[in-house]
Amino acid sequence: MAGRKLALKAIDWAAFGEIIPKNQKAIANALKSHNEYLTNRLTALPEKPQVINWAYYKQNIAKPGLVDEFEKKYNELKIPVPEDKYTALVDAEEQEDAKFGAELVKASNARIAELQKDMDKIKNIIPFEQMTVEDLNQAFPHTRLDKKNYPYWPHQPIENL
Amino acid sequence: MLSRLALHAAGALAPALKNAAPLAPGVLQASRIFHTASPHLAPLPPLPEHGGKIRHGLIPEEFFGFMYPKTGVTGPYVLGTGLILYLLSKEIYVITADTVAAMTTLGLFIYVVKKYGPSIASFADKLREDQLGQAEGLKQASLKGISDAIELEKKQQALVAKRHYLFDVQRNNIAMTLEVFYRERLHKVYTEVKNRLDYHIAKQNMMRRKEQEHMISWVENHVMKSISAQEVSHFWHVW
Repeated sequence: MAGRKLALKAIDWAAFGEIIPKNQKAIANALKSHNEYLTNRLTALPEKPQVINWAYYKQNIAKPGLVDEFEKKYNELKIPVPEDKYTALVDAEEQEDAKFGAELVKASNARIAELQKDMDKIKNIIPFEQMTVEDLNQAFPHTRLDKKNYPYWPHQPIENL
Repeated sequence: MLSRLALHAAGALAPALKNAAPLAPGVLQASRIFHTASPHLAPLPPLPEHGGKIRHGLIPEEFFGFMYPKTGVTGPYVLGTGLILYLLSKEIYVITADTVAAMTTLGLFIYVVKKYGPSIASFADKLREDQLGQAEGLKQASLKGISDAIELEKKQQALVAKRHYLFDVQRNNIAMTLEVFYRERLHKVYTEVKNRLDYHIAKQNMMRRKEQEHMISWVENHVMKSISAQEVSHFWHVW
């Protein structure tokens, strides 16, 4: 009945706090406190149980053979390690999440490429001293005055002036 | 812009005007070609900063240059004086009251332009500077917005890399729970076995104590009985 080696990963609680979205903060705090509770209990329980003093019992118990029988059965007894059904579930969830994360990263990269293109387009416009109003409307489409919806000057709602 | 429109018209009407080089306005002799070649200059090259050189606000330099080889420096002035005297003497131009009005108006006009021209020009220049500055600010704001968006995307990507901590915590919890259960079972076995052994010992002790007490009381009883049968009579006999 020797204790097993417990393989626990080190957790960076700051990073853990960062990745939780706001509406799940309560659950995350519950998870963290459960983790702390378990850690405390683990440190409270020693790894090996205390050893029974067979010699003392052998001396003092009159019935012969009782102590020997007990000792034999006690040493033969092997407590089964509780089986781990749940790590597989967590692993499966992590796989899905990794896929999801990869998609996010891909979409994000596509967005970054678009933004980079926009930035280059803006950097390459002709200097303002040489622009006409049409050139300006081309470079910054939001400056174009809407002559269809507002046919009369100032071609925009009065509040925008 | 109006000057550009006028030049558009001039260029469109008379391509031959380009060839009348000396008398054409100085602007046309800049490097702009209107409607005679395919428009492959885009963006348009900037307008020249100053127009062609002009003397006395009216007459282009090319006129003086044209006459210089034949008549020297004073040629155009002599021509001008002669022309004016000719018009006056032959009464082709008649001096009326309007002449005086025109001369005073012109004089006043020239005075005002000479005195306040520069300040008004600088005011207009400042307006243009402000417009340019606004446009520049627009451009910088757009650039900053885009670079901020890119930063945000990169930060979110960094967060995605940290997602595994969530599952690490869950796995740790599971492992710790199992370990806690296992250790509790070990300890329980120990306590149970110890209880049973202690029970035996306690039972033995109790039995021994009970036997002792029973024996003591049995011995006492017998002693009391034997005393009461034999000793009492002996005692009373002594007495």
